Amino acid sequence: MRPALDIYPPVVDSRWTELEWELIREIPETPAMNVALDEVMTKAVGRNERKATLRFWAWANNAVILGRFQSVRNEVQIENARKHNVDIVRRVSGGGAMLTQPDAAITYSLYVPPSFVRDLSFAESYAFLDSWVVSALRDLGVDAWYQPLNDITSSEGKIGGAAQARRFGAVLHHTMIAYDMSPELFSNVLRVGQEKLSDKGLTSAVKRVGPLRRQTDLPRTDIVEAMIQKFVGLTSAVEGTITPEERAEAEELTREKFTNDEWTYILP
Amino acid sequence: MHGEYKTPGGKLVVVDFDVEDGRLRNVMVTGDFFLYPEETLDRINAALEGMPADAGAEVMLEQLASAIPEDASLVGFSPEAVVTAVQRGLS
Repeated sequence: MRPALDIYPPVVDSRWTELEWELIREIPETPAMNVALDEVMTKAVGRNERKATLRFWAWANNAVILGRFQSVRNEVQIENARKHNVDIVRRVSGGGAMLTQPDAAITYSLYVPPSFVRDLSFAESYAFLDSWVVSALRDLGVDAWYQPLNDITSSEGKIGGAAQARRFGAVLHHTMIAYDMSPELFSNVLRVGQEKLSDKGLTSAVKRVGPLRRQTDLPRTDIVEAMIQKFVGLTSAVEGTITPEERAEAEELTREKFTNDEWTYILP
Repeated sequence: MHGEYKTPGGKLVVVDFDVEDGRLRNVMVTGDFFLYPEETLDRINAALEGMPADAGAEVMLEQLASAIPEDASLVGFSPEAVVTAVQRGLS
């Protein structure tokens, strides 16, 4: 079913120009480091030490990134993950597990002050923060729309999912879009029960997904570039970098938290 | 015991627990939901821990709902969804 395109009040569109924005392009990092950078940069925005920021992620290796409230054993076939060199990392935001391989996904995070989503419901804020992506995908000929609560979907299946954390004095909103996917790796490493699919009218989680590669001939990097152009057009964002201090803080957090089983297996 | 419930149009709630001497023990509520603040999950688990397995959905819901602070936001699920998952695990 295809809902209305704008799930949030259109008047909030003008907020994109209220803030000064920084854009950080993809740099391959380990999955744990990517998740650590999310925490560090959310904190930096919360302390007003960083402008509102859009950061694209790149993945140095295979990973399952679990939602904050997911059980490792219920979601991941742990032995198979090891066998396929898939890291298991828990992120700070809720939502569902994401599985990816280098260059198979487009992933980005937005770090914004809470005022950016003022007066919006959770559902409205998800649709609002991803609205530029839906628009960029449509420009590329993909029949995309936002499916509440937190999915970007299309006539060919689900394209991506978002998750938010509201902590550290700021809002973290990250989204992973499937560019390509290995159905074999997916079904070997993740567990998706029938209950999860119960209201989707589908019996297979693999069939549910419609990666962009099936929907466009464009290489992944061209899609990322089109998204960047759309975002810069909307916000006049300037290009920036992860600061040395942020990198150092994230490296420490990677060691102490995000590669530490105490955090990863907090819900075993 | 293991019970699951997906709120239609919402998120999945999974409850794993044991039953010892007729009471729920080692309760672990998980899922792909969103919850703010995240520490609320400890309150949810604590409210179910030690609950008589035969308390019935209504009593469980009452206890659980009263344990969730007013300023907490459950997004994509509800206390009812958690209790449904528990009841499914018991049956």
